[in-house]
Amino acid sequence: MSETILVVDDEESVRRTFAEWLSALGPTVTVISVGDAESALRVASERPVDLAILDWNLGSGSDGLQLLEDLVEFQPELTAILVTGFAHQATPLQALRMGVRDYLDKNTDLTRESFLAAVQRQLARLRPLKRQRELQRSLAAFRTAVEQIVPYLQGAAVWQDPVPVPQAARDLLRLALRITAATDGVLLVHVRPSSGVAAEERLTLYPVEGDPTTITEVAFRHTLAATALSQQEPLVLTEAPSTPPDAFCLLPPEKQRRNLLIAPLVIDTETAGALELFDKATGTFSQEDVAVVRATAELGADLLRRSRAERHSQRLLIDALAAALQATQQVQDLIPDDRPPPEVLEHIKKGLEQTAAPQEDPAVVVQLLEEIRTLARHHGTPAVEYCVHVIRHLRPLLDNCWGRQ
Amino acid sequence: MESANLIEGLLSQLTPERLLRDVRATGEGVRVAVVDSGIEWTVLAERARQRGVELLPVQGAVFRPQGTPLPYTGRQSSPHGTTVADIIVTLAPRVQLYSADVFAWGGGTSLETVLAALQYALDVWQVKIINLSLGIVEQRLQPGPRRWQLLQMIEQAYYRDVLVVAAAHNDHPFTRSYPAAFAPPLLSVDKGVFADPLQVVYRLHEQVEFQAHGRGYLGPYATEPATSWAAAHLTGIAARLLSLKPDLKPFEVKTLLYWLSRNRNPATSPHGTTPTKSTD
Repeated sequence: MSETILVVDDEESVRRTFAEWLSALGPTVTVISVGDAESALRVASERPVDLAILDWNLGSGSDGLQLLEDLVEFQPELTAILVTGFAHQATPLQALRMGVRDYLDKNTDLTRESFLAAVQRQLARLRPLKRQRELQRSLAAFRTAVEQIVPYLQGAAVWQDPVPVPQAARDLLRLALRITAATDGVLLVHVRPSSGVAAEERLTLYPVEGDPTTITEVAFRHTLAATALSQQEPLVLTEAPSTPPDAFCLLPPEKQRRNLLIAPLVIDTETAGALELFDKATGTFSQEDVAVVRATAELGADLLRRSRAERHSQRLLIDALAAALQATQQVQDLIPDDRPPPEVLEHIKKGLEQTAAPQEDPAVVVQLLEEIRTLARHHGTPAVEYCVHVIRHLRPLLDNCWGRQ
Repeated sequence: MESANLIEGLLSQLTPERLLRDVRATGEGVRVAVVDSGIEWTVLAERARQRGVELLPVQGAVFRPQGTPLPYTGRQSSPHGTTVADIIVTLAPRVQLYSADVFAWGGGTSLETVLAALQYALDVWQVKIINLSLGIVEQRLQPGPRRWQLLQMIEQAYYRDVLVVAAAHNDHPFTRSYPAAFAPPLLSVDKGVFADPLQVVYRLHEQVEFQAHGRGYLGPYATEPATSWAAAHLTGIAARLLSLKPDLKPFEVKTLLYWLSRNRNPATSPHGTTPTKSTD
């Protein structure tokens, strides 16, 4: 992981000195030095900057804090070190809000060691935060992509028939009809979940033309197709089936037929079916017809098997994506907020204690600032403005309550 | 000399007709496992009742490739098994049937499920006959060890004096089906159409030795000749013979059937040179 440090100082000698000191941090740190606010903003608009080292007094009437305020527009997560010869002029509250994490006083403690120590301290702090932010960004991008794709996949696959019957299977049925001179036919698919729960069984008929029909009034175990399956061979009925006894049921398309040829289709352990041909135009179904339909049924079973395998893969993909979505949420929840480290908060608090009015509790003010900063990061400037608006209205309310003007 | 004449005289009275139609040849005391798609008990019992016969309640189990079998609830997974059982009890109404449903899970069955059912029939039910109106084609028994597993099971039955009756493939001899092709330790059966359902013919052809009546009595398809129904007929005939002499060994039953075939059908060849009788 590499970092970019932006040094902004109007004095050429200072920039050169800082750059020379910073070269000690190694090749993973890129240092960009500029002499004015405009150049700094251009850099920030073109590339990510991790740490800004800003001179308080940039000349031409602008100061480092104002520049930082503008830089944050481009880089909201920017961390800054303010270099000043006028520490008393710094406004700790505002500085903290803007992302200033340290001060270096040109007049007292600015040496190579103190400078590098301050920079390394901030780099050490921002590296994990940067990693977290990048992870957050990646997760957010991933979540967005998955959230977009999952509903599409679910709509396309999950709620459809568990055994998609490709057009090719119906074409195959038509082919069998033509070869055998049967006048009608149907593809039957029976799904029995491995749970063995009878209520979850599903029996569907796919006619040559038109929509499939789900059969609920006949149990599969009473059908001719079930017999063909257990016989593992095509079943030929050369005569019209009479009214069957209790153990048997004819499906609607099988009724009133002169003759039938039913070839079993074994798709997988949960799914089976049959290719049923009815009413051969000339006589009854022959052994040649049986051979043709057996081969056709095997091909049909293979088609359905592949189709079901594809559906299974789709389901696995959807499940995996949904699980990943869930996992990313958990990861996001686990990533800590990038609160300033305790030592920085302590530093700010001390500054406040020196400058703030005696009746204000610095800890409470810091807490409030932190809340506002988090609010800004999560919901943007309008949320902060609204917060300020609420606070402004709170004051007259309290004044009124306590009778103060 | 006189005693020899006496024996010959007695033997002359032992005809296939007398043997097959003996009033005691009811299947009484013979346990038969129907490894198939289950039996719809109420239908079977009602049909028998209409013929004036009270069947012994069917027992059984539902088999899976793995795990212990599930209890039989008197239902079929498909009508095939009920048609098979109906043929057996039509010929031998006093047999004790055991329904081994191997088609309850998914559309077909598997070798593992069939093996589990066969082992259970041998060990737990201790049956005398196993009816297999089903077969597994050669390509589904690859690789070789799978075929060997099935052969081992059939031989286990043979050495435990259990008669296995296995249907040939309906496309026989173009398609070979197992275990019927393991002919020596079992009765392999092809379909024929005979006026007498007790007819059995020895006609060795492509590893299948016997032909039996290939039409059933229950269901809209039962009138179509099929090896499934032929196997059930041979099971019924074997059950009748075993009820007369329960300690017959499989090879003795096979010899007896051969003898019945030769003496009832002198025209049939034992060498399989006669063309197959009408099968379709």
